[in-house]
Amino acid sequence: MGLWRVAVATAVLVAIGAVAGFATPGLARADQATVARGAYVVRAAGCLVCHTDAKNKGAPLAGGRALSTPFGTFYTPNITPDPKFGIGAWSDEDFARALGQGVAPDGHHYYPAFPYTSYTGMAARDVADLKAYIFAQAPVARANRPHDLHFPFNVRALMGIWKMLFFKPGRRARDPARDEAWNRGAYLVAHLGHCGECHTPRNFLGARDEARALAGNPSGPEGKKVPNITPHQRDGIGAWSASDLAYFLKTGFLPDGDVAGGAMTEVIEESTSHLSDSDRAAIATYLLAQIPVPEP
Amino acid sequence: MKRIAIALAFGASTVGLILAYSTQARAVDEPENVIKYRRAVMLSMGAHTGAIVHVAKREVSFVGQVAAHARSINAMSKLITSLFPKGTGNDSAYKTRALPKIWNDWAHFAAAAKKLEAESAKLVEVAAGGDVAAIGAQLGNMGKACGGCHKPYRAKLK
Repeated sequence: MGLWRVAVATAVLVAIGAVAGFATPGLARADQATVARGAYVVRAAGCLVCHTDAKNKGAPLAGGRALSTPFGTFYTPNITPDPKFGIGAWSDEDFARALGQGVAPDGHHYYPAFPYTSYTGMAARDVADLKAYIFAQAPVARANRPHDLHFPFNVRALMGIWKMLFFKPGRRARDPARDEAWNRGAYLVAHLGHCGECHTPRNFLGARDEARALAGNPSGPEGKKVPNITPHQRDGIGAWSASDLAYFLKTGFLPDGDVAGGAMTEVIEESTSHLSDSDRAAIATYLLAQIPVPEP
Repeated sequence: MKRIAIALAFGASTVGLILAYSTQARAVDEPENVIKYRRAVMLSMGAHTGAIVHVAKREVSFVGQVAAHARSINAMSKLITSLFPKGTGNDSAYKTRALPKIWNDWAHFAAAAKKLEAESAKLVEVAAGGDVAAIGAQLGNMGKACGGCHKPYRAKLK
């Protein structure tokens, strides 16, 4: 459904672009294989979930989705390759710096609603593939809406201090003591899939409490409680098997046959259902290998 | 004559009483009990779905039994709208995850229930083919139909 919508919207936009005589930057020149790998990265990184205003039938990646948080409402930006309204004028370095350092091309700091605190661990090749994919999409001329944040979070300059306190940039190093599945799972959960952005609780300044990583967030996005996904028997997913988890990420079915609602449904439709079986299995391997954390 | 009139009056009032009682019997279902009954029906659908999931995951080879589960889900799906009388949402005094939006948005809610009826009927058909991959795919479609109500109309667990 999600993929179909994206495909139709993309086709329509390409047609409009062609009629209006727009150039679609990179579409002809881009290395097909790079773009194809980027199409997978965009799914694994869940970009579409936040950067598409699906509720108001917005174009894919054109932004505008409202994210209500305890700090105020964020409106996601347009990341289509439109040179004026999107990121079409960005260089490869600009793109890598945004994901890896949380810094915009003009030097301002991003709020961590954009999960660069997770994306910083992304492999250089995934970053490059992702940019190639995004730049092969049709540009959408949709202006960004400013965020609507409470004081003092609306003082953008304070983000520099926040980052000094809480942000540790750097690519993820492979753990040689662990097997391939665990390492791939760690990369997908902690970086590309940025699961902790919703499933890890935050302190009063909005930084993730890594001592309770993945142990659930009582006040997640849109004020909803986000479940504990550590393998704690009572409070987490300790009763789930690896195949239960992988099947849930593919289809949305819980082990008891229930179908979840809420934000995870979107994540499954737009992201995890498009992953390979081996990547879903890797995520399950990693999650079930975590230390179980009970509710406080 | 008079006796006949009395008998008729008596008969009519008896019939009236019986009718009144039988219609009242529906009306007096306590919302709390309707909610309990509703939860039981929903859980039964979840349990049948869970059974099909085990087949779709190829953990068990009971492919021939999928149709029976799908038929049960299909039968239950036809009951859904009747299980949500007014006054049984989570804005009532009772413990339930049913959001008041159901009644503000009834046509859409009823259409979503119909969608489950259609998708479960399709699963019955697909199940007859005995192809596990096809069953898994249609199970996914049916799951989306379940989510068609659970997403907009069910409160998250506290």
